[in-house]
Amino acid sequence: MNIKNYEDLSELEIDTLREIGSIGTGNAATALSQMLGREIRITLPEVRIMGYNEAIDWIGGPEVITAGVLVSISGEINGIMLAVQPLEFVNLIMETMLDKSLADYTEMGDMERSALIEIGNIMISTFINALSGLAGMSLELTVPSMSIDMQGALLAVPMAAYGGQTDYLMTIGANFIAANKEVPCQLLLSPDIRSLNHLLRKLGVEE
Amino acid sequence: MISGSKPTVVGIADMKMAQNGGKLITYALGSCIGLCFYDPRLKLAALLHIMLPLNMETGRKNPLKYADSGIRETLRAMEAKGALRSRIVVKAAGGAKMFDVGGKGSLGNIGQRNIESVRMVLKKEGLRLIAEDVGGSVARTLLFDSDTGMATVQSYGKPHMTI
Repeated sequence: MNIKNYEDLSELEIDTLREIGSIGTGNAATALSQMLGREIRITLPEVRIMGYNEAIDWIGGPEVITAGVLVSISGEINGIMLAVQPLEFVNLIMETMLDKSLADYTEMGDMERSALIEIGNIMISTFINALSGLAGMSLELTVPSMSIDMQGALLAVPMAAYGGQTDYLMTIGANFIAANKEVPCQLLLSPDIRSLNHLLRKLGVEE
Repeated sequence: MISGSKPTVVGIADMKMAQNGGKLITYALGSCIGLCFYDPRLKLAALLHIMLPLNMETGRKNPLKYADSGIRETLRAMEAKGALRSRIVVKAAGGAKMFDVGGKGSLGNIGQRNIESVRMVLKKEGLRLIAEDVGGSVARTLLFDSDTGMATVQSYGKPHMTI
């Protein structure tokens, strides 16, 4: 049976998606950890299905300025992957790679920007590689794009992309932990609904 | 709502009205568009936050999500309060391109398609679009004052702008 809405997902299907989030985010953390030369772990991954305004509250309000790196996925499944990089995460990268920290995003220059895009891109690609390996699918990724702006407007990008199919935003992702401190950096995968059916079928959990 | 009080928040795919000094606000418009409708005689203001250009959903559960059905729904609500189409003026902000995404797909064009749809639907409904701050690549917060009919646009790292 094909689902028509995110709300139709069964417990088993949600568990499977959470497992994907766990493996994907775990691999991304390992890649990040190798780049930074320090231990990075992840929090318990979550699968969330949220109304638009609920999603904005969940990320921490609409107007907070955040960096986001976005990659569009195509091939056997279509989706958007967004790495939301709050200032705390940015500074973890800056301190480790460039030995500096920023008071806010206006202090970011070209070098800081490209470092963050690259980190975001590697984390996203690692996640997607793990996903395509698990499901035996080949997927194409676009070149990463970065935006530093109000996080409500960044989160609205996956919402608008699938807004014709659903009134909800589905995200699969987790936060990172560095030096025993939780550093917020959400790695969010938003699949479209047709792709979600295909993915679940490939993983053999379709009911 | 009295003047000077906190503005009423309009969410995504949402519309609220205010009258005689009440203020309305919608946050972080990216590719979405905020539309300020105003009947100056009644000092009646409506703020609509749409996300997509055209309603092609079969169920049509959420008309305020789309430019076409959202504008019509807002008009209906204003007319129910005595507003006249011939008096209503409209201002628009939003329709930005937040990410420069290459490759296939129309992801990066949603803002532009929203702008075009808004202009077309307003024209079709006989409404005057008197000011706009659209396009570009920055998010906008839009504050609308029912006392003056003025709208203020706030973007990150830019001075406020009144339209």
